[in-house]
Amino acid sequence: MLDFARLAGQLSDFATYRVGEDGAHAARLTRAVDALDECGPGWESLRDRAQALKGGVLRAIPTTAPHQHHGCGDRPATVTVVATDGSQIFPDRHVEPACYLLNVGRVAIHYGTLDPPLIQAEPSLRYRQQDLADLADDDAQASPLDLTAEVVSALRDELELHWLFETAAAERRSGRPVLAIADGTLIRWMLRGMKNRRLETELLARYVAELDRFREAGVPVCSYVSRPANAEVVNLLRLHLGEDDWSTAPDSLRGLHDRHLFEHRLAQGERSAVFLSRSEVLSQYGPHRIVAFYVHGCAEVGRVEMPEWVANQTGWLDLIHAVVLDQCDKGRGYPVILQEAHQRAVVRMQEKDVFHRILARQVRQSGGAVPSYSGKAASKLAPRV
Amino acid sequence: MPDPSPPVAEVIASNTREVVAEVYPGATVPAFGSWVEVETEDGTVLYGLTSHAEIGSVEPGRQAAALGADYDRDRIRREMPQILELVRTTVRAQILAYWDGRSRRDGRPVVRQTVPPRPAALHDRVQVCGPEAVAALAAPFDVLRTLARNPDPAVPADDLLAAALRNLSDAHGDEGDAILVEAGRALARLLDEDHERLQSILRRVR
Repeated sequence: MLDFARLAGQLSDFATYRVGEDGAHAARLTRAVDALDECGPGWESLRDRAQALKGGVLRAIPTTAPHQHHGCGDRPATVTVVATDGSQIFPDRHVEPACYLLNVGRVAIHYGTLDPPLIQAEPSLRYRQQDLADLADDDAQASPLDLTAEVVSALRDELELHWLFETAAAERRSGRPVLAIADGTLIRWMLRGMKNRRLETELLARYVAELDRFREAGVPVCSYVSRPANAEVVNLLRLHLGEDDWSTAPDSLRGLHDRHLFEHRLAQGERSAVFLSRSEVLSQYGPHRIVAFYVHGCAEVGRVEMPEWVANQTGWLDLIHAVVLDQCDKGRGYPVILQEAHQRAVVRMQEKDVFHRILARQVRQSGGAVPSYSGKAASKLAPRV
Repeated sequence: MPDPSPPVAEVIASNTREVVAEVYPGATVPAFGSWVEVETEDGTVLYGLTSHAEIGSVEPGRQAAALGADYDRDRIRREMPQILELVRTTVRAQILAYWDGRSRRDGRPVVRQTVPPRPAALHDRVQVCGPEAVAALAAPFDVLRTLARNPDPAVPADDLLAAALRNLSDAHGDEGDAILVEAGRALARLLDEDHERLQSILRRVR
């Protein structure tokens, strides 16, 4: 329960603090925009310096002059766009053996044609201990495999990419461009620092294997990050300005995000230069190092990521730019096809309850122990006065 | 006596007075005032008069929003096809008669013009009645009595009566006019000789 009377003072302090922060933010922004223009000529040496530096904060490596911006060309009159999004029901510790559900929503829309769209969900119930054991066998050092939220999320990401390719491969038509759009980042940095190193390596290898399939089939794949919190381009500018990585100087650009910079630098509809990510996890991506550009859609600056080989293919950057912008227009700020994929993927609270009820009934019918609620869970279900 | 015509809709809500059915994609929506039939699991055929049709979102939480004047029908089909996947048409039919399999000596079915003992099941399939079935819903016109005396408050009763009479007349072919006169007499009695109302209904039949 929230006592608003006692909170009031703190809320008003926060408002005062924000006003101060906004002022500082505006000053940082002006400095960053100037720095971006300034580092244009002779950008190659800045790139080389950034590339030579090891460790420290993440810095974007520009592939062209970083201050460049490009207008959007026409979207092809006909184009097939596919997208996936996923959700899950995490394992319930009351149910033995552990099981969990992955649900991937997948959508294909054939723009400019009368071909019917594909809008479908692919649920996948997983429960075999063997599946997990296969992920990281023969490792005596490994801690016992727990079905943590982290592992389940990683498997969901992998399944999303798996279905993204399957959908693109099945729905692409000859003579019509195709583009596969994933939700969120393609950089699986969250896999780093897992307790089980072997599992981490295996999960990454499997993710990269899915990317291989796109490359072999020649299907362009990208992802859209809404409200990106990256500061890699800002960190590049800090290098240009000679700022210390951990500087706390009042005029430091620290705290500024790339999207703040490009909200100012890009006109609506424009995209930025392409930057290579230096994320450590990409060392295991083989030929799929991830590059990104920012695009100013109708409601926000979003980040569009793709493997380097996609960006290097003639015409594909323009294709991605035009399709993503059209998607944001249609979705009033966020790609409409990702919205549809999300709608199919999401497992609602009510559906979660039904899932657990059916599961409990099945376990009961087959003579298993009936799952029960812990005292704490039960007290939340039926609070007393 | 179920008609072999293909099912056009499926029951998604049901009670003894009415069914609500979702029309299959691509199927023709049963017309207002036309008869539909549902064969239930025990073989009973329920006859309903289509009294309402509506188009809406499949998901209760998602509302349609205007796309803008530059989106004509063709552009929506080509550029926003996912929207059409989220739309469904539902019809409501008042159940006014049923057939439990009994026949007369001459082989003609005995269709009871009253509310059935049990409702249709969810997901039972709905077919449009053929002329033979519609013709069986004529004399003694008790269906008209139910329509006139216990109308669905959400439906303009006289328009539904007019549409039902028109279909009855059409189903009788050459004898259409004769059956209309007969039905008109029955209706006049039902309306307590309210000739003005009767005339107004009959005008709408033509």
